[in-house]
Order: sequence, then C-alpha cells, then structure tokens
Amino acid sequence: MTRVRQAAIARLGAWSARRHGPDALPLTVNRRRIYIIPTRFGLALALLLAAMLLAGLNYNSNLGLAFGFLLTSLALVAMHHCNRNLLGLTVDAVAEADAFAGTDASFEFLLRNDSGIERCDIEIRCATAAATRSVPAMSYNHAVVRMPVERRGVIRMERFELRTRYPFGWFRAWTYAQTPLVVFVAPLPRGDRPLPSGAGAAGAQAHAEARGDEDFSGLRAYEAGVPLKHMAWKVLARGGAPAVRSYTGLAAQPEWLDWTSLDRLAPEERLSQLCRWVLDCDAAQRPFGLRIPGAEITPARGPAHRTACLRALAAFPAETVR
Amino acid sequence: MSAQTHDRVTFEQLAWVSACLGLTLLVRTARLPIWVTATVVAAAAIRLGLAARGRDAPPAPIRFIIAFLAIGLLFVQLRTFNGLAAGSTLLGLIAGLKLLETRTRRDIHVIVMIIFFLSLAALLEADSFWMLSYQVGVCWLATATLLRLTGAAPVGARRDSILYAGRLLAQALPLAIAFWLFFPRFGGPLWQLPEDGGEAATGLSDTMNPGDINELAMSDEVAFRVRFSGSTPPEEERYWRGPVLHNFDGHTWRRGDTGLSPATTLDFHGPAYRYTVSLEPSPHHWLFVLDWPSQWNEPAAYRTNDYMLVVPNALSQPIDVTATSYGRVSAAAPLLPAARGLDSNLPAASNPRSLRLAQQLRAAHPDDRGYVNAVLDMFRRQPYFYTLTPPRLGQDPVDEFLFDTRRGFCGHYASAFAVLMRAAGIPARVVTGYQGGTYNRFANYWILRQSEAHAWDEIWIEGSGWQRVDPTAAIAPERVEHGLNDSVASGADATSRWQRRTPWLTDARLRLDAVRMLWRERILEFDSASQDRLLDWLRIPDPGGQKLALVLSVCLIAGMSWLTWQVRRELRPSLADPVSRAYARLCRRLGSIGVPRLPHEGAETFAARVAAQRPDLGPDVRALCRRYSELRYRANPQRTAAAAFIAAVRRFRPRDSRGSS
Repeated sequence: MTRVRQAAIARLGAWSARRHGPDALPLTVNRRRIYIIPTRFGLALALLLAAMLLAGLNYNSNLGLAFGFLLTSLALVAMHHCNRNLLGLTVDAVAEADAFAGTDASFEFLLRNDSGIERCDIEIRCATAAATRSVPAMSYNHAVVRMPVERRGVIRMERFELRTRYPFGWFRAWTYAQTPLVVFVAPLPRGDRPLPSGAGAAGAQAHAEARGDEDFSGLRAYEAGVPLKHMAWKVLARGGAPAVRSYTGLAAQPEWLDWTSLDRLAPEERLSQLCRWVLDCDAAQRPFGLRIPGAEITPARGPAHRTACLRALAAFPAETVR
Repeated sequence: MSAQTHDRVTFEQLAWVSACLGLTLLVRTARLPIWVTATVVAAAAIRLGLAARGRDAPPAPIRFIIAFLAIGLLFVQLRTFNGLAAGSTLLGLIAGLKLLETRTRRDIHVIVMIIFFLSLAALLEADSFWMLSYQVGVCWLATATLLRLTGAAPVGARRDSILYAGRLLAQALPLAIAFWLFFPRFGGPLWQLPEDGGEAATGLSDTMNPGDINELAMSDEVAFRVRFSGSTPPEEERYWRGPVLHNFDGHTWRRGDTGLSPATTLDFHGPAYRYTVSLEPSPHHWLFVLDWPSQWNEPAAYRTNDYMLVVPNALSQPIDVTATSYGRVSAAAPLLPAARGLDSNLPAASNPRSLRLAQQLRAAHPDDRGYVNAVLDMFRRQPYFYTLTPPRLGQDPVDEFLFDTRRGFCGHYASAFAVLMRAAGIPARVVTGYQGGTYNRFANYWILRQSEAHAWDEIWIEGSGWQRVDPTAAIAPERVEHGLNDSVASGADATSRWQRRTPWLTDARLRLDAVRMLWRERILEFDSASQDRLLDWLRIPDPGGQKLALVLSVCLIAGMSWLTWQVRRELRPSLADPVSRAYARLCRRLGSIGVPRLPHEGAETFAARVAAQRPDLGPDVRALCRRYSELRYRANPQRTAAAAFIAAVRRFRPRDSRGSS
C-alpha cells in the first residue's frame, strides 16, 4: 500500500515538473500550481455529513438539515481557505547543503508573506524530512529542515514541497517547487594517520595554538574565504582597502592530502581519513591541497576551500572504488 | 517516532476539546443516566490531570477494561443502542472514554466528529431557535479547537482562533442557506423511525378523574395553535374536540372500546369554519379539531364513530392539519342499540344518592329536554361553586360533589351531569378537549394553552342526535364567555392575576408566541410545497425536483465563485491608514500603465524614475510623491493636507502612452 502510494506521489511530482518546468528561486506560489485533496479526516467528515443528511431527511428535521448544511458549507469554505493559505506565499532556499554521513543535513528556507493574513502551519517537506512554520502577515520566517543522511555521496532531490492542512485539517493543499536540492554528504571524519608532512593532527593543533603576533608578516589584499579573524579591521576603519593580516609559516607550507598515501586502507576508510585531515588542517588554518582520483584541488585556506574539498570527497564516485 | 511526539496533544488542546464535549452533553444531562455523566466528567478530569503533570493517557489494558465495563453497563441498562436517545447516550459515553485515551491530534479529530453528530442528534429532537443557536455555538467552539491543533509554534492567541473560526462560519452561512432552501425534500421518512420511549407529556389523556383537568389548568404550556381562514366561530362554539369518554366505573371515565358501531351519519348545519391546527408532538393518537369535523387534509387520519379524529401512529413530530368543521349537527337515524348500551351504562352500586335524585327529577320531567333543563337549573339555582381548588372526594365522588361539597371544576360538573343523564335513561358521554383560546392579534391566530383544557357532555336526543351540553356554563356563564382566567379571578393564581394587570407583559408574551408560530410555519415546516412556492416566487416555471437541483447548482457555482473572490480579497494587505491606501492606489495606477513601483523604491526615487520614463507625467507624480513624503515624514503634517493628497490621487488618472497616440 505504501509502495503504491509512494509511486503515485512520485508520478504526481514528475507530472507537475513537466507541467511547470524548472522553477527559479525565490518562488511565489500561484494558483495554478496548488493541488488540494481531502485528508482522511476530511473523508471521515464527508461520510459523517452524508449520514447527517440522511438522518435529517429521514427525521424530516429542518433544523438537523440546517446544521448538516452549515457543516457542509463550512467544509467547502475551509477548502478555499486551505488553498489560499499557500497562495501568494514566497519561498526561497539555500539549495545546497553539506553534511557528514550519519548526521543531519540542514536545508535553510525563507518564507515571505506579503499578504494581509497570517499563514499558519506551512510545512516544508524535502523527501521525508519536514519543518512546520507560521508566517505572520506582512512578514517572513525562516525554517530549517533537518534530514538525516546515512551514507556518503551526493543526494539530489528534484523538488521540494510546501504543504498545509490549515485551517481544520480536513484538506491538504500542497505545491511543488521544481528546484533541485543537493546535499553533499562528506564521509564521516575518522582515522588516526598522521598528516603526510609528518606534523600529525596534534602537531597541527599545537602549531595553531603557538601562533602569535610574532608570526605576523604583513598585510596582503583581501580575498574571499579568508577567516574573519584575520581581517585587518583597523586598516578598513581608516578607510583603506580591505586587507588581511598574513602570518609567516602558514602560507609557506602547503600540506598535500593525497589519496595515494593511504594505500593500505579500504577506499571508504581512505576518504574518512582524508576528511579528518581536511578538518584538522582547516582548524589549524594551514593551507592544504587535496588529491584524489579524478580531482585535484590546489592548496588554499578558508571555509570556501574546505567546503570544496569536502564536496570533492562527497562526490567521489562509490562504484570506481576498488 | 519523532512524528508521534510532534503529534502529541497538549493540556490546552485537551481543555478545549473537553469544554466542547461538556457543552454538547450539558443540554442532554437530564436525559443521560447519571453515571454516564459522572464517567465522562471523571474521564475528562483524569485526562486533564495527567496532562497537567505532563503525563500520557493511562495504559491500554486499563482503558480497555474501563471502556468494556462502561459500554456493557450501558447496554444492560438501555437494552438497545438503537434509536436516537440510546444512540446519543452511547456516543456521549464513547466520546468521554475517547477523551481518556486521547494521545494524538487524531483522537481530538475523532472527538470533534462525535461532537458534531451529538449536536445533530440534539437538533433532530428539538425544534427551538435557541437549540439551533446553541449547537451552532458548540460547532463554532469545536472548529476553533481544530485550529488549536497546529503544528507550528508558537500557537496564536485564543481569541484569534475563535475569531477566525467565526469568520469561516460566517462565510459558510450563505451557502448553507442556499443548500437549505433548495435541497429537495422528501415527504416522509426514508425508512421507519425506531420508536423512542415517549416522554411523559402534559395534556389530556384517555381517562378522566374529575380532578385531572384542574392540574392542567395550572399549566401555561401551549397545547396547539389554530389559524382560521375565513370566519372565526364565536366563543361559545370554539370547543376543540379531544378524547370522548364512555366507560364510567363510579370514579373514573375511560375511553373504553368504541370500535363496535359505525359512525352515525350527521347532517351539518350552520356556517363552515376552515382552519389549520398546528399540533405539538404527543404520545397519543388523536388530533384536536373544532366540533364537529366534516373534512380534513391529513390522509392518515380517520373519524371514529364518536367523531374524534385519530391517526394510526402517535405524533412524533409537530404536524399541521387543515380541516373544516360545522358548529351544529343533527342526526335523523336512531342510535344503534350497541352504542346506546355503551353510553347508558352505570355501575349500580356506586353513587346511590345521585341515582335517587335522577329518579325524582325524571318523575317530574318525563320529557328529555325538560329533564336536561331541570338538571342545569339545579346547577344554576342551588349553591354550586366553580373553583380551581375543589375539595378531595372519596368513595362516591359524584354523590359527594352533588350533595356535600358542591364545589368543583369542569370535570366534576361534566361527570355528574353525565351520571344524572344516564340514570334517567338518556345516553350521555363525556368529551374532553379545549375551549376558547387566546387570540394573538400580532399574527392572526389562536393559542390554546393547557390551562384551557375543558370537559363537557354530549347527550342523545331522539330526532336530533348527539347534542353538546356544557354544564359548567350553567354555573359560571362568564367562563364560557371569557375563558379560565376571568372566572377564577378570586382564585389563588397570583401569576395570572399579575399578568392581567400588566398588559404590556401579555403583549410581549403574545409577540414572542407569534415569533414561535412564524418559526414553526416558516422554518420547521418548510417542505417541498414551500419550495414550490419559493420557485414560483422566483418566477421559475414548472417547479419540481429538477428545477430545485438546477437552482441549487447555480447557487453553488455562484457561492463558490464568491468564496474564491472573498478569500483572495483577504490576502491583500489591509491598510488601515487612508494616506497609505491612497499611495497604494497611486502606485497601482502607475503600475497598470507600465511603470510599477519596485519593492525597494521610496516615494521620491520612484517619482524620479517615472519622470525619466514618462516625462509627461513627471511633474504630477513628483508633486504627489513629495506630498506623500511630507505627510509621512514631516513632524506635524496638517490634517487637511492628508485629505488634499487623497483627493489629488483620486483625480490622478494617467493614460497609457502605449495605447494612446
């Protein structure tokens, strides 16, 4: 039963993709892309209303009929309100996420409500994970959807979904945002091999702690990805161009993290060890490069570099590993 | 697992749904077994107590045992779960037990649906506007409860939930009215209704002890209402015929078995009165009609040989009967021996003094009419009193009344008169019913209250047939003229005296009753005939089921379109401030000619861009935007400036350069 249902849902999503084509973010929900069906409570209510109608007719009770018709109309009104709850809502997302295997991937969403009504109970659903938020009138709210990821790799979801059951839970309205969400699942950092340069994890750490003002070697031009604590704020405050303090000994010794240096280990173990090294070097703010089959990343430093390396590890194809 | 904890109900949600259930059952408490009420209350208290301590529902085995015991006990007590009353009781109990085991929002949904059904059940039995309002109120609170089942924190204010649910209900109202007006009605029940155990109803029964009617006389309850079409009979002809009693055992008059002879054919005399009686539900089978009925429109009703109108099934619902009656009748044919025997029978052993009196009088008046007049004369001349509080009577009630107490109510006089007639060999029977009525001048109909219950006699005069004689009229003629309240003016009935002294209160009561009558005629008795009249009024030819369906579909389409428009209209941010509204209108107008304001643009920046794109509009737009900025940002803008700005925006109608030359 669940399999049939999942297949139906997948086909509906694919049909919707063909119908609307790919969407650009931010996406404002228009009426043509909102779907609505009764929930199981709605179906139960429909049965109840049918029973009420029969009872009212049978007892020839105009008051009973009036009550039944009021509830019927209320359900129809609720259907309109459920549909409206999504109408005109704007959603934006950070479409790429990073995570380590065995942890949670977090997707960030921004819901903007430019209307005069509060949007209650908006559920953002990425595959099986979901988060529910309300957005007040003329306001916005952000949501983080946490999705547990078990295995290393690149997970790509073709679409995500905005859902609502508000007001009464009798109907479910939803819309698909045909925007791929990608999560790069890096291997779980593991392994105790020393760094190829011999410094080892502990050495790198000690190095980072020992660094002080005496290592300061001068200023260089700002480049994207440099840690904020290395910014020369005083220079900026004096009206100068953004500059970064540079330290001796850090830029000079790039560490090459090499796949081939770990030939004793199984492929996934190697990736885990490389991941460990990437994190250690990054924590020590040492420049490092990554060399794995099919990818080579030249030595650099900073969050962007670290992310690039982790994504390279995540994207390492599982089937080429021997 | 995470979904379950996410779904778990909170104390607040439980409190809401308990309140709803409580209100639903509140109007039934009188009819619920006391232990059912106690069980529901205890279940709610226990569950709320657990929730307040952050604990879950009691474990499944305990809940199962409680449910099994309670439902089993209910079945033992009621013997059935069939029928409206038993079914509602069972549902109420189940809702209470469900409350005890409520864990997730799903359970609350189930309880809310039970509440809906209980409300419906209450409305199937009741017929008042207040009950409808009350149940709609309960429904409102129940839907507000559903709004509280939100997954997103923080949950909004309670007031907002109630207001939003109220708005949804208000929006549902037009569609509901269309459904109600145009949904085709069928005449009768689709299947046989299970007979519910009737409640003890006030009103006349088919037995009469002399004291019975004076108990009714204290009741102000409405027995039925009558609307005459055409002339109204005078007070002395407004006798509303109820059960006719034949068997007398010395104390009590009973209806007895009357199916033995066919109805005597009657010749109707005098003017015909056409009228509609609106009868209330009753456990009995007779219909109250004006003496003497000749025609009626209720197909199931038939006329008995003693001229009662009877239906095969008890009146489970209010019905209207339209009938024609004549004030005077005569019968040329002789009375059949069996009927004569039935209406002449007297127990030989009881009331001996009365029998002797009858023999003496009969010896003096061998003529039937002379004898009747002599008896009435005795009531008129001798000190017989008419009172609401007659003394208690013992073994031979007619003897004691005629010779000792001489104080009685209509039942005493009717009984004594019939005994004296039968003792003299004149067939006589007691007729109970209502007499008189209160005219409601606000809506042109008559109200017959239980206090107007009456008893009189019918005697057989050879050559004329059955004739009505009201011995009570001989005692206090003004009673027949003006009704009960006046004839007992010296009595102890303080409320009625007080009401007479405050005519505005009487008027208010009559007005209220007129509204009730209107409610009954227009709402409760709305049927397929009313629908045909409605379609006719809408000038739709050949009314019928198909036309109703057509009109209903049109209403539905219109209603749904209206809803679509209405709910989208609410999306637009409502700007309370007129200046902001005017500025929004300005931006909208410029947008419609191809120069929309971008979200990040302030008034002056926007004006600059408009001026660049449309030099012809530049000066106007710049001026307007400047005024807007001043109104917004100047320390003390003048009030007149705001009005001037709004007026200027209203006048500003830019032309689309793309369309014009």
